[in-house]
Amino acid sequence: MIKRSFFTLSQPMLNYDLVEPDPKELESIPIPPNLILLLNEPIDSTRPPLIKKGAAVEKGEKLCLYNDSTEYTISPVTGTLTFIDTYSDDFGNTSTYLVIKNDQGQTTKTDSAIYDLKDDIASADQYLRTLPGAPPLKLLAKDDVKINTIVITCADTDLLSTTNQYVTLKFLDEVKQGAKVLKRITHVPNLCITIPEGLNIKEEFDSIKVFKTALKYPSNLPAIILKDHLNMILPAGKKPEDIGVCFISAEAVVSLGRAYKTKSADFEKILTVIGKQGTRYRVKATIGTPLHKIFKAFSILVNDQDRIIIGGPMMGFSTYTHLHPVQPDMDIVMIQGRDILPEISDYPCVNCGNCLRICPANVPVNILVRYLEADLYEEADDKYDLSSCIECGLCAYVCTAKIPLFQYIRLGKHELLKLRAEV
Amino acid sequence: MNNNKLTVSHAPFWHDGDSLFKMNLNIMIATLPAIIFGIIQFGAPAVGVLALSLSSAMAWELIINVLSKKKITIGDLDSAVIGLVFGMMLPATSPWWLVITGTFVAVVIGKMIFGGVGANPFNPALVGMAFLMLSWKVFFDFDAAYINYEFNFTALAPLAALKFQGVDAVADLFPLSDLIMGRQVGAIGSTFGLGLIIGGIYLILRGYIRWEIPASFIAGIIVTALCFSMAKPDTYAGPMLHLFSGYTLIGAFFLATENSSSPANRIPMLLYGFFAAVMIILMRNIGAYADGTVLAILLLNLVNPLIDTIRPKALGKGISNA
Repeated sequence: MIKRSFFTLSQPMLNYDLVEPDPKELESIPIPPNLILLLNEPIDSTRPPLIKKGAAVEKGEKLCLYNDSTEYTISPVTGTLTFIDTYSDDFGNTSTYLVIKNDQGQTTKTDSAIYDLKDDIASADQYLRTLPGAPPLKLLAKDDVKINTIVITCADTDLLSTTNQYVTLKFLDEVKQGAKVLKRITHVPNLCITIPEGLNIKEEFDSIKVFKTALKYPSNLPAIILKDHLNMILPAGKKPEDIGVCFISAEAVVSLGRAYKTKSADFEKILTVIGKQGTRYRVKATIGTPLHKIFKAFSILVNDQDRIIIGGPMMGFSTYTHLHPVQPDMDIVMIQGRDILPEISDYPCVNCGNCLRICPANVPVNILVRYLEADLYEEADDKYDLSSCIECGLCAYVCTAKIPLFQYIRLGKHELLKLRAEV
Repeated sequence: MNNNKLTVSHAPFWHDGDSLFKMNLNIMIATLPAIIFGIIQFGAPAVGVLALSLSSAMAWELIINVLSKKKITIGDLDSAVIGLVFGMMLPATSPWWLVITGTFVAVVIGKMIFGGVGANPFNPALVGMAFLMLSWKVFFDFDAAYINYEFNFTALAPLAALKFQGVDAVADLFPLSDLIMGRQVGAIGSTFGLGLIIGGIYLILRGYIRWEIPASFIAGIIVTALCFSMAKPDTYAGPMLHLFSGYTLIGAFFLATENSSSPANRIPMLLYGFFAAVMIILMRNIGAYADGTVLAILLLNLVNPLIDTIRPKALGKGISNA
């Protein structure tokens, strides 16, 4: 954990890690006997499901719950479906998890299903949503969303993660090929790529604009990239796609390119794993691998009250189970020992102004939190810019009173959406 | 496979390790140069006043915590800072009951009844001080307070001398070097200008006070006092006398910067510091008080919520959907 420096006249410097110039080969995690897949659709017990316990599934087979489902997942192995149940995330949203017993053993060579991929986005969206890196194909395929700029992010969004940098460094040619595929299937006129300053690669991309992003957090957040490099201000409460910009990770671009080359899907996700002492490992694991298999491979001991963090220390989430599977969009997993968990407090704001000065979106967090504590969400948004927050987490990082500021803000946004949905 | 119970919470999972305890401890450390000098200058009675002030302030908070059946909060040292700064503003000869009454008003009325730390609209130490100054004015006559002391410098409180004897009389009495090095009569912690500046700079560098407030405060003192003395050099003293006497420097670094009663945005901080200083000079030069620091900062505390609404526009606010 990065602590406050002794002299802090300037703001604390949280810098992104750079991938080492000559990274080691990835450690490969064997395909586990049981894989867990998450399907972003809740179980509806009143309807007959398409998939049942005991069913045989093929590698590359598309699995969806009901006839008219738009959500699907792809089985990474040939095996048997042994379990289906409801999974709920940290905000109580429910989805479904499937357990697949691996019948193919360790062979990755088993032929995956061949897809009938055409050069249009709808066809890609039909099969490739769960590629490693989770390309936002669903968004791109939407008719009512007009995307005119796609930003390929080789710079990882959260701290500590170097997954996308690694992919860029190792598979630069495939990034370029993937970008061509992306351009061909989406017909989006502007293609841009973000590369962290100091990453040692040849920056020659035909017809792709290169943005050098600073190493200082949070310069790789979508809203900041829009502001710094595209000269676009993200309107409060809007998403980048609302102003015609879509972000896609370098890994997703690479796997998209591969998928179009082989007409089949790839299931090996690259992950940065951070151990308790901050040791970094970089692994390749099949999507659906339970996390404890990865920890076991590096003899990382997970004890009671430790924290498993997925997605990075500033913006990620923590899971309640070792069985949480590797997901297509999971770039980093870190373990925090219980002895270094920072405490949070129920102290009131003392108005020291640290949050205010560090906020990249100029949100008056010190006043906002008073409204959020009192559940006044509408006022918080109207007067104190709740929805301008770009969710970087810096306010809670620097809070002297240790108020869980970012947690309040996320809850506030969630409740506000609920309130507005009810109206 | 094991089935451990994991800790689950929301991002961010890091914290920079700062805390209220550390912040307040650092403020107390920063007062040390001025306090040690005050103790050397004024002797054992100064130790007594400071110790009683600090301990009684914490005791008042503890009593209120117990009475209101709330969590005990003295561990964050907020009351300790109030008590210490309050003690620094008292003459070393203050009687015990004056100190205890003052800390009662400061901690209980100035802070606890508003809801404790972070909720006070005024600087608690100043609320206590204003109460004492209005009720027992005689104890704040520094010339009378140190009547039994023998000093090897001018044993007159500079601001009172200025008020009652005029600028001509004080011109030679208080050389600038004496004022900076604390060779003047005043409250325990307010005489050693250099020590206060060192403490203040330490706090600014550590990030525990915001540099804008002391900087604009000092600029305000210099600019306003200079304007007055240039207009009528026979009537009004120059800026340096004002800067290094009375409560000016303790005000700049330890009183005006109190977190919850001062603004947090940049332009409001500059306005707040500057106008607090303008008010001080106005009170000293035109008003009835010899030293208006206490009331001037309280007045600006009152304006704080209003001026702190001047703030930069948040990202993406007020932009129509492109």
